Amino acid sequence: MTNYKKTIGIEVHCELKTKEKIFSPSQSIYGSMANTCTNIIDLGYPGSLPLLNNEVLRFAIKACKVLNLHITRDMHFDRKNYFYPDNPKNFQITQNETPIGRDGYVIINDDGEEKKIEILEMHIEEDTCKSVHSAKNSLLDFNRAGVPLIEIVTKPCIHSAKEATLYLEKLRELLLYAGVSDCKIEEGSMRCEPNVSISKTDKLGTKIEVKNIGSISHVGEAITYEAKRQEEILERGETLHEETRRFDDKSHTTILMRVKETGNDYRYFPEPDIPYVHLTEEFITDSLKDLPRMPDERRKDYQKGGILPINMEKIIANKEISDYLERFLDINLVVASNLLLGDISSYLNKKDIKLSDTKLTDSKFRDLVNKLDKKEISNKNFKDILVDIMETDKSIDELIKENGFNNLDDSVVDDIIAKVLDSNPDFVHQYKSGNERVLKALMGLVMKESKGKVNPSLANDKLKEKLDA
Amino acid sequence: MLTKEEVMHVAHLARIEITDEEIFKYQKDLKVLFDAIDKIKELNDFDDDKMIAPWEKDFDIERKSVEVNKDNLLSNVPKKKGNFVEVPVMVNE
Amino acid sequence: MSKYIDLSIEKIHDLLKRKEITPTTLVLECFERIEKSDLNAFITLDKEGALKRARELEAKEVPDDLLFGIPIAIKDNIMVDGLKCTCASKMLDNFTAIYDAGCIDLIKSHDMIILGKTNMDEFAMGSTSETSFYGAPLNPWNRKKVTGGSSGGSASAVSAGLVPLALGSDTGGSVRQPSSFTGIVGMKPTYGRVSRYGLVAFASSLDQIGPMTRNVYENALLLNCISKIDKRDLTSFDTNEDFTRKIGESLQNFKVAIPNYFVSDIIDDEIREKVLNIKTILENNHVQVDFVDIKHIDKAVTLYQIIAMGEASSNLARFDGVRYGYSYPNPTSLDDLYMKTRRFGFGNEVKRRIMVGSYLLSGENAKIYYNKALQIRDDLQKSFKKVFDKYNLIIGPTTARCAYDLGVKGDDPIKSFMDDILVMHANMGGFPSLSMPIGFNKEHLPIGLQIIGNLCDEATIYQLASFIEKEIKDDFSEVRDD
Repeated sequence: MTNYKKTIGIEVHCELKTKEKIFSPSQSIYGSMANTCTNIIDLGYPGSLPLLNNEVLRFAIKACKVLNLHITRDMHFDRKNYFYPDNPKNFQITQNETPIGRDGYVIINDDGEEKKIEILEMHIEEDTCKSVHSAKNSLLDFNRAGVPLIEIVTKPCIHSAKEATLYLEKLRELLLYAGVSDCKIEEGSMRCEPNVSISKTDKLGTKIEVKNIGSISHVGEAITYEAKRQEEILERGETLHEETRRFDDKSHTTILMRVKETGNDYRYFPEPDIPYVHLTEEFITDSLKDLPRMPDERRKDYQKGGILPINMEKIIANKEISDYLERFLDINLVVASNLLLGDISSYLNKKDIKLSDTKLTDSKFRDLVNKLDKKEISNKNFKDILVDIMETDKSIDELIKENGFNNLDDSVVDDIIAKVLDSNPDFVHQYKSGNERVLKALMGLVMKESKGKVNPSLANDKLKEKLDA
Repeated sequence: MLTKEEVMHVAHLARIEITDEEIFKYQKDLKVLFDAIDKIKELNDFDDDKMIAPWEKDFDIERKSVEVNKDNLLSNVPKKKGNFVEVPVMVNE
Repeated sequence: MSKYIDLSIEKIHDLLKRKEITPTTLVLECFERIEKSDLNAFITLDKEGALKRARELEAKEVPDDLLFGIPIAIKDNIMVDGLKCTCASKMLDNFTAIYDAGCIDLIKSHDMIILGKTNMDEFAMGSTSETSFYGAPLNPWNRKKVTGGSSGGSASAVSAGLVPLALGSDTGGSVRQPSSFTGIVGMKPTYGRVSRYGLVAFASSLDQIGPMTRNVYENALLLNCISKIDKRDLTSFDTNEDFTRKIGESLQNFKVAIPNYFVSDIIDDEIREKVLNIKTILENNHVQVDFVDIKHIDKAVTLYQIIAMGEASSNLARFDGVRYGYSYPNPTSLDDLYMKTRRFGFGNEVKRRIMVGSYLLSGENAKIYYNKALQIRDDLQKSFKKVFDKYNLIIGPTTARCAYDLGVKGDDPIKSFMDDILVMHANMGGFPSLSMPIGFNKEHLPIGLQIIGNLCDEATIYQLASFIEKEIKDDFSEVRDD
């Protein structure tokens, strides 16, 4: 009977991983001792003034680019005034009138169907401080105070939990690949706050905001639960009120945090301590020059290279591998990706190290892939020398030699083939009478005789040659 | 003249406790000030440009980082616990 | 009792160079006077630190820097590392500065000697210094009169000869009005000329630190010392010029404007007379002086109130008993901590302005009042710039009346802005503006002339000021009723 339409808007806060905070030169290192990554600005000391870290502008410009946002060329900052202990000056410096980005979108892929999720605006602001709570007091740690945030606000254009989670995964992917945030929801460097309303008409229903959601899948759960809860209330003929709820991951339900005080009175006004910021074309171009290729472009190449969709996503999900692959788009991507996702990954996992920690140089990898591609080395042989490839400076050729792979010269191969054919006349007869399948059996015998030391393709050709002669 | 409720609202916005006796005094004082300030409504001949502050120049987007003081930050803190700043329990976290 | 302190900075420097006196001589002489004085000009004194510094300086070769070894007093809303910085408020009665303000770095690098922190209106809000938690400073010319404010302590100390130089801060006249009331020279420089790093903010877009001195030349000298770009204040600009350079230059082809509003009937007759007398002096010296009308000039105080109180309500929100300053003991809740700390920590004038500022920014008011104020503010600056297209400078009285009796203002919300009406235009537009003594009224109280210049044109203000100074016969150095 559910003929209610869900309408969802999502606010996402992401910490930018700049060296310094947004309005102060402190460096915030996650997990540092309380109040050691602070200075007079972070504590809102009397007489302190906000500075502005231009690296934040560069990162925000990158984010605008990958989210297709129009970049505001002339902007200022605004003060949002409210008293709370995690807000050192009791005002937060943010952008109310001139957000750095406006009217953007991301494309999500909902089971092959492409959908556009519209982004209303993105602005930059400062993070609040961390607080630990006990029954009798709260303890404040200002290390996080002033860490740069971007807040990304969608239009109310999302209509299902699935769309919402797809959007968030895409957003996370883009910001991660743009290199502006590490988007770790569990560490709080990415925070998602959906607002959900349901309605039978085109008029939007009462907006309910959900906070404190610890993972993208939980966002989906929260939305589904909220819609259901609201529907039940409306069906009982009761009315909904604007409120803020939090997701409880034990009960997988949402719990009331606070009813919206009628019109939060934030007393916004322009920040007088930070002059107008004018973003020149030069500055914007320069900020974007080291922006890497985004996942969808990469996917296109992977597809062209013949990589299966499932592997494609495995690669994208592992930025290190994807970035590595960027240097080898000209070789057999299937072989290369199978190597990286298969044997090499399991080796790295076993050793718990990164590709960059191994002795696998670009030229070695390129050589290896080509040899496997041309069957100049068998998969079995490769597995035997994997460790040496990763841990020694020896070239693939050297290793092949050392291990005596295909070190049989043609004459030897010819002898083996002759031997095999002599000792299996009936196979030869069957072949000649048209049963080509015996070729496999004969190949097997040749390999066995050579203890796997012949190059299979080479042996195969020679065998055919002899039989057809 | 501001109503009792308006005065209470402003006082809470500003986080300043005022006694019942003070409320009336504030109603009186604020009225006088607002009557003066309301004169701005008579001013209508001006263009849209606004001046946030008499800045001499735009923000320097190429500026380098600079040090500010970070020593003895907690020396003035009224209530400390170890390296933390202590406050009464924060509500609606 | 020696009177070296009353000598000009050049003479003192000369004696220091010739080793006839040492910095210690000067510091001891100042403290001898301060300790005898009943003016309540200081909140904090640092005799020990000052003497220590003086002795250190004696080891040094005396450089050509005229300010070397000269004692100075600092308004108590400017951070001096290790000294209390109270802003004359109970809120910061127990607060010790942990860093030096930008201008203090420069004062110290010029080897000047800081004697202590001067009395003021609480958080610089007021124009009599009577809102000080420590009681009002007294006017050396008549101890029943106010010093003006908010930099009343600095004005009182310089005027009484307790110290040759002082720093004040000026948000809506707080340097110039007390200078006028006490017969000294006070300058509010161009916005951004002096770093605000380490100045406790009242209204960020209006605040400027300024020099308060006994004469025009020494004022320019002190401004030379404290104006330098400071990367810790994004609104501070590159400034490297000698403000004394035009002093003594002829006033050929000089044009001066007097706004009609500045000589209208709101101005006390004696004061208007003195200002018109200056007009005559200038005209006798071939300076063209015209009366002009300036758009919004008479209504601007309204914009000033909106902007100043709006910004103040936000700037003073940080005083909440959590990270520093007064904190209400044993609060029952977080809100209780906030509400009671700010109830008992702030005085009435400050609380009232915070309340009004919060109201003016709340809800729809931000549009009706604040935004409109910012628009007209832009207009106001333009209309002043138009005048500077035709005239070198604007002159007029600094205040509409001379120093009045202590207590008359009482707790009146409107009177507390009465003395801003002629001086806050310079803050609104960012223009430099100086006040200098040009005579006395019947009660032998000083009368101040205000000189407003175009942005960054302090040098021309000093040029005219020093010319007028030479023309004025009255003696403002021979103090006073002590």
